[in-house]
Amino acid sequence: MDPDKKIEIHIPSVPGFEKVAMESAASVARGMGFSGDRIEDLKTAVAEACINAMEHGNRMDAETKVGVTLTIGDAKLQVDVQDQGKGVGEVATPDVDVKMEGKEKTRGWGIFLIKSLMDDVQFGAAPEGGGLVRMIIHLDR
Amino acid sequence: MQLEITTKGAVVVIGIRGDMTAVTGGAIEDAYRGMTRDGARKILFFFAKDCYINSGGIAILIGIASASRKNGQSIRAAGLSDHFQKIFNMMGLTKYVAIFSTEEEALKDF
Repeated sequence: MDPDKKIEIHIPSVPGFEKVAMESAASVARGMGFSGDRIEDLKTAVAEACINAMEHGNRMDAETKVGVTLTIGDAKLQVDVQDQGKGVGEVATPDVDVKMEGKEKTRGWGIFLIKSLMDDVQFGAAPEGGGLVRMIIHLDR
Repeated sequence: MQLEITTKGAVVVIGIRGDMTAVTGGAIEDAYRGMTRDGARKILFFFAKDCYINSGGIAILIGIASASRKNGQSIRAAGLSDHFQKIFNMMGLTKYVAIFSTEEEALKDF
């Protein structure tokens, strides 16, 4: 991969900083020609992945960082979000009816949104350690 | 986040600008509890088009929608961007909180 087509951002595990990664991804996607709708999808997915990395991977330790790598392909954008912990794995699809009945906590939508809005999503471990979420969005979809 | 609470007839309108997240959502929960104590029965959440809403913020709204059923209140939402209307639909939240493009349309529906 051409290193010029890779952008790395590191944000502290502090709520609000996910917007830095979100806006950076949006800016790159805009330059690649993604539609406004798809850019909004990307913004939400990147924000949710960063929040998960802060909360579940890094346990909200403000000394830790969330790494976001944007890799520009010919017709796709890949976004890797890496934490310094154990990441977050697949979870059951949340059910709004159950949450409305108060039978489970109202949170827990992040992975559902990421998987619903991105074209390809993988959860795993980064080679150098830490949890990794890889999201891909294609220009032609 | 900025909240502006107004009354339009029998409807209490909560205008929301800025970030609606788990961090800022406490202010909305406080506002909801306050208006419930004051007897509000019809509540409209009006979002500015450029609001940043994440799953933590939507979870706050689900909590309020759940409480509103127990409290016998009607809740509507308006002003959401097309993107967040889609998100609310995907989550199934629109079964419990009807969404409208404009404040006027939502007010008429109560």
